Amino acid sequence: MAGEQYAKDHPGFSVNVIETSSDDCQTKLTTCANAGDYSTMPDIVLMQDNSYQKFLLSYPDAFTDLSSMDINWDDFGALKQAYSMKDGVHYGVPFDNGGCIACYRTDVLDEAGYTVADLTDITWSRFMEIGKDVHEKTGKYLLTSEAAGGDTIMMMIQSCGANWVDDEGKAYIAGNEVGEKCVDIYAEMIQNDVVKLVNNWDEYISTITGGEAAGVINGNWITATLMSTEDQKGLWEITNLPKVDGVDSATNYANNGGSSWYITSNCQNVELAMDFLAKTFGSSTEFYDAILPETGAVACYLPAGESTVYNEPNAFFNDQPIFATIVEYSSHIPAFKSTPYHYEAREAVNTAIVNIVGGTDKAAALDEAQSTLEFKMTE
Amino acid sequence: MDAKKKGMTLLAKQRAAGWAFLTPAALMIAIMSFYPMVRAFMISLQKGTGANMQFTGFSNYQRILADKVFQQSIGNTFLYLIIQVPIMLVLAILLAQLLNNRDLKLRGLFRTCVFLPCATSLVSYALIFRSLFATDGLINSVLMKLHILDQGYNFLGNALSAKIVIIIALIWRWTGYNMVFYLAALQNIEYSVYEAAKIDGANGWKTFWGITVPLLKPTIIMTFIMSINGTLQLFDESVNLTKGGPANTTITMSHYIYNTCFINVPNFGYASAMSFLVFIMVAVLAFINLKVGDTRD
Repeated sequence: MAGEQYAKDHPGFSVNVIETSSDDCQTKLTTCANAGDYSTMPDIVLMQDNSYQKFLLSYPDAFTDLSSMDINWDDFGALKQAYSMKDGVHYGVPFDNGGCIACYRTDVLDEAGYTVADLTDITWSRFMEIGKDVHEKTGKYLLTSEAAGGDTIMMMIQSCGANWVDDEGKAYIAGNEVGEKCVDIYAEMIQNDVVKLVNNWDEYISTITGGEAAGVINGNWITATLMSTEDQKGLWEITNLPKVDGVDSATNYANNGGSSWYITSNCQNVELAMDFLAKTFGSSTEFYDAILPETGAVACYLPAGESTVYNEPNAFFNDQPIFATIVEYSSHIPAFKSTPYHYEAREAVNTAIVNIVGGTDKAAALDEAQSTLEFKMTE
Repeated sequence: MDAKKKGMTLLAKQRAAGWAFLTPAALMIAIMSFYPMVRAFMISLQKGTGANMQFTGFSNYQRILADKVFQQSIGNTFLYLIIQVPIMLVLAILLAQLLNNRDLKLRGLFRTCVFLPCATSLVSYALIFRSLFATDGLINSVLMKLHILDQGYNFLGNALSAKIVIIIALIWRWTGYNMVFYLAALQNIEYSVYEAAKIDGANGWKTFWGITVPLLKPTIIMTFIMSINGTLQLFDESVNLTKGGPANTTITMSHYIYNTCFINVPNFGYASAMSFLVFIMVAVLAFINLKVGDTRD
């Protein structure tokens, strides 16, 4: 679509689009980079924001410096820019918004005597109270979450502007006050049937489609999944996240996932590629308006949120103008220290949580997670 | 004199022909197998993330000693090996013995049925087992219908049951495969040997231990080595069935090595070192197996 729009002003231009799953894209990059041969890479690639730092560290020569691009970087949130930057240089044009939302089933809440307003601007401890009540009255879970690859704990800590690494990027799990609070709340919610902990993504989806979950908290791309369950149309509403209790920097906003475009070092016409990205993803609200209804891809490009298309009510979400809301939420997300070791940290902490819920002493479990992450960070 | 003039004797000609036949295959093996092995060993002596590698000596091998998750994965893999391989091979021999019976009707059909699981792809069968054993999967529904369980049991969410599910899956997938080897070997045993045993008054059990097992020994050793090799490199089941979880209690060595390269910050030096360790384990176990199995004087 971007190609068609660009071709209007640039005759003879065409884009050859190859769709590959995100995991395969990254495997391909790793393989090419290790072979030292980028010739099979396409010109432009969309990559998960959470993976950027890892690849910028490992394969700096795979990316093209975008400093000379004609684009106003401040049209994107600071956090979004930071994902694809290294040492102050831009290597990616932010595209897919990962701003988090909390989605709730209004019919289930109603049955338990609550509304979405009761879940707006609240803390996690209040969330837990309501969650226990909801589970007692309806047998449903107010939140569903994945055990091994789960992002809930990451969204919790990052909503406080913190992470599992310190300012120097060193592992910071044991003794991390903010982190410990998140772990406490999360583990307690699992033990009290507020959170349904599932083993994998299929089960996660089936708790939603099967109606077992009364709530979902994730990056806004989850709306695409929700909207595929036609029978739940009009029953969902969105609001902001609960915030962590007793932390000064805590907010009701976080980011999870999202992606940015990078130009590979195999690109033969860097100028054209840069111009293409700048004229479409980097500056065109018409473009974003055009792709939203068809793809549900919410922009990181802040001016896009002001357009009428973004403000149209969405029937699935009880006529809320969810896309404008999401863009608005994104502007409140606190920045935090990102790390190339994002997935290692997530795995270590999730492992600790499974162990804590299983009865291991909290301090011991977090110490182990700390040493696991420290180990991964050494060579 | 004549022969010398022509350049080659008959023997030399035959030798040359032999070499000509051997060379292409030998070259292919050298390029496709041995070269990567040597290269992997070289990489295992380097450290660094991604493309920034430098020589480091044996520090990657030392690193293994400090890696608790990898040690856990070794433990998991050997647990699968110790429990699954014997069960599977015994089952395979028994099935082969049953299906070798000349009087059995529909032998072909039964053989096909037992072998059929091998035709499924590793990924798809792992995914099917995952949905079978899900909290709202078929197994749980049946157990709940029979009032054995009140609510769905989280098979894949508990360390012990998740391991058992993997072992069951492996037995389902590979028993038929091994059975085929035994069937082939059984058919090579002369029927007259059994008849002679019968005349001498040996019962079924005695015949099995006295004739079948000794004559199957080469095949048993081969399937043992193949199974050990396969189990130590177990990957698909860990990745697709349990994702190595809960909390790394079912992760296998190959799965962890893959994570080190493609999920985490890429560390190919360390991953190569771990792969080499797996290679050495397979070699040592296969060697022991051959020595134990070899009873020639």
